Amino acid sequence: MDKMENGRRSVDTGSIRTLSSSHIDDESSLGSDSEINGFASERQADKYGFIGGAQKYSEDTAQDIPPAVLRQREVKWLDMLNHWDKWMIKRFNKVRLRCQKGIPPALRGRAWLYLSGGKVKREQNQGKFQELDSQPGDPKWLDVIEKDLHRQFPFHEMFVSRGGHGQKDLSRVLKAYTLYRPEEGYCQAQAPIAAVLLMHMPAEDAFWGLVQICEKYLPGYYSPGLEAIQLDGEILFALLRRVSPLAFRHLEKHKIDPILYMTEWFMCAFSRTLPWASVLRVWDMFLCDGVKIIFRVGLVLLKCMLGTREKLKACQGQYETMELLRAIEPRYMQEGFLVQEILEVPVTARDVEREHHTQLKRWKKNRGELNFKPPPRMHGARIIMLAEPPRRQDLQQNPTIVLEVPQTIPQLQKGKEEKKSKKKKSMKKSQPTEEIPNPYPLLSDPQSSSTEPPAPPPGNSVTPEAAAQTETDSAGEQKTPPTDLPSAKESTLQRSTQSLSSTEQDTYL
Amino acid sequence: MAYAYLFKYIIIGDTGVGKSCLLLQFTDKRFQPVHDLTIGVEFGARMITIDGKQIKLQIWDTAGQESFRSITRSYYRGAAGALLVYDITRRDTFNHLTTWLEDARQHSNSNMVIMLIGNKSDLESRREVKKEEGEAFAREHGLIFMETSAKTASNVEEAFINTAKEIYEKIQEGVFDINNEANGIKIGPQHPTTNSTLSNTQGGHQAGGGCC
Repeated sequence: MDKMENGRRSVDTGSIRTLSSSHIDDESSLGSDSEINGFASERQADKYGFIGGAQKYSEDTAQDIPPAVLRQREVKWLDMLNHWDKWMIKRFNKVRLRCQKGIPPALRGRAWLYLSGGKVKREQNQGKFQELDSQPGDPKWLDVIEKDLHRQFPFHEMFVSRGGHGQKDLSRVLKAYTLYRPEEGYCQAQAPIAAVLLMHMPAEDAFWGLVQICEKYLPGYYSPGLEAIQLDGEILFALLRRVSPLAFRHLEKHKIDPILYMTEWFMCAFSRTLPWASVLRVWDMFLCDGVKIIFRVGLVLLKCMLGTREKLKACQGQYETMELLRAIEPRYMQEGFLVQEILEVPVTARDVEREHHTQLKRWKKNRGELNFKPPPRMHGARIIMLAEPPRRQDLQQNPTIVLEVPQTIPQLQKGKEEKKSKKKKSMKKSQPTEEIPNPYPLLSDPQSSSTEPPAPPPGNSVTPEAAAQTETDSAGEQKTPPTDLPSAKESTLQRSTQSLSSTEQDTYL
Repeated sequence: MAYAYLFKYIIIGDTGVGKSCLLLQFTDKRFQPVHDLTIGVEFGARMITIDGKQIKLQIWDTAGQESFRSITRSYYRGAAGALLVYDITRRDTFNHLTTWLEDARQHSNSNMVIMLIGNKSDLESRREVKKEEGEAFAREHGLIFMETSAKTASNVEEAFINTAKEIYEKIQEGVFDINNEANGIKIGPQHPTTNSTLSNTQGGHQAGGGCC
C-alpha cells in the first residue's frame, strides 16, 4: 500500500539513518547557496523525520502515548473513517473529542484528508490533479517556487535533499495550485502548509488538502495583498482584550501591530512555531474545528508570554516584546499543556465571526473595500461536509483498510452493540483486556478516555446513542489492529499483547 | 545591555537575495545556506562600537515576496537604517530596486539611511549586474553602496557598520531627533546606580555579541 499515510517511515523509527544516500548523492551537484550545511550523514532522524532544527523532538515537549492506547485509537478511527458521514452528522462531538485527544499517527494523513474535505474534493475531481501536474505552469511562479523548495523544513529528512522526492512533490503540489487558482498564484507561506501535508500523504492528496485549507479554512490568506491575514490580526487583537487584558494593553501601549507577531503563526498554522508533537495536535484540532483553533493557540501564547505583570516588567519596549514572542518558552508549547490551554480558551467560531464582522466594518471605514474578496470561511470539518455533501462513493477508503476478524471466536457482548455493524461486533475481542490507561487524558474528557470503566457518561449533553458509543468505545478496546498499517504485523499482533505494547511496532509515536 | 544608542535596521529586497544570510553572517558570523524561508519577520541584534561608543543594532529581516509587501510596510516604521539588497547574479532583483526604494521612502522617516547591497559577490562567474551599475544606481538615489558576500563574509561587517556610522553622523549633525523613537534611534538605558547625563560615561565593558 504505497499510498498509506506515514507509510514511508514506519517501523522502528530509531533505526532510520537519515539522509544516507539521497543527500550524499546530491551534495556534489549543489551550488554555492545550496550546500547542505554541516549535516552529518549519520545524524538520526527523530520519530517525525527531523534531523535537527527547532522542531527536532525532545521528550520535554511531547507526550508518548502507550502503543496499546494507540492501537485502540486506530481501531476507533478506522471505524469512523468507514462510516464517515454518519459520524460527522450524528456524532460530531465524538469526532471532535477524538481529534482533541490526538489522531493516531498511522491514520493521521487519512483522517486529515477526510476532515478537510480534501478526500471528497479529490473524488469529485478525478484526474484533475494529474491534468494540472502535466501542465508546464507559469514560469513566473515556477521560478519563485523553485527558489523556495530547499527552504521548507530543511531539517526534515523528506525535504533535506535537492531534487529529493519531498522537494519534487512539493514543487508539483504548489505548481498545481497556481494552475488551479491562477488569480492567486503562489504565496510563499503556502509552502510550509503543503510540506506538512506531504509529510502525511501523497502529492495528489496533499494538493486537495492544500486547496481546502486555502479555500475553506483560511480563505484569502495567500491571496495577493494579504488582506485576510491582516484582518485576522485585528480579530486576534480584539479577542485578546477579552482573554488577557494585560497582554492586550501592553501590546497596545507599545504599538505592536498584530501583523508583527502573528503573520507566521497564522499563515503557517503554527507549523514553524511549535514543537512538532504540538504542531500535529494543533492541526488535528484545526482541521476538525477550523480557524478558531488557530486563534486560540495565538491567544494562549500571548497570554502565557505577556499575561502577568512580572513578565511585562521584563520587556519594556517593542523590540523586547517582539523578541519575547519569537522565543516562546518551551513549557507553554509543550503538547499536553498547550492542548489543555487551547481547549479552555473561551473563543468560539461565533465569536470569531462576530469579531470578523466588526473588524471588517472598521477596515472598510479606514481603508476602503477589500481588494480581494475571499469566499466565506468555513469553521470546521462538519460545516465543510454539509456545504458540499459527499456522494457515497466519495467517502470510500482507498486504499481500503480492512479490519480482520480474529481467528478465535470472540464472546460477543450483548445488548448495547446492537447498533454496531457486524464488523464492529466482531471486533469485540477474545482477549478480555483490561482498560489501558492513557497517561494523558484530557481534563475535559467526559469519559476520561480509558482510566475509568465503561460507565455511562454523565449524561446531559450526551445522546443515548453517543452514550452507547462511549460504552462500546471503551469496552471494545484493544482490538484487531488494522491489517495494512505498515507497522502492524497483524497476525502476530492479534494474539500477542506483548507486541502490542512493544514500541517497535509503533509507527510514529 | 549597556549601550549608548540603539539603531533599528530593516533588511529589504526580493526573495532569495540573501537577506537572512546577511543577517546571520553579521550577528552570528556564520553562513547557513539551509534555513527556513522568512515569513513575516525575523530578528537579530548585535553590539558594535563607533567612535568609542557602544551601539546596539536591532535588525529586522523581512519576507521578500511581492505579496508580502503590504505587510513589510508595517516594519518600516521607526527604522533608522535600511539595507536594500539585490542579488548580483539575478538581474530582475536589481530591476526591482526602484519599487523597493519607493516603498521604503514612502513608509519610513525621511532621514532613514539606506545602504544598497549587491550580495553574492563570491559568485563572480554568474554575475549579471556589474558593480558599476550598482554604484550608479546608488549615486543617482543618494544611497551608500557595497557589494557583499554573506557566504565569505566579505564586506558584511562593513555594510552594517558603515550604515551605523552614517546614522551616527546624522545624530551628531542634529539631523535626527533622538528623543523621538519613531526615528529608529533610542538612547541607551542608564545604569541603575547612576542617573543624569547621557551614555557617554558608559564604558564598553560589555562585550559585543548577539545578545540583547
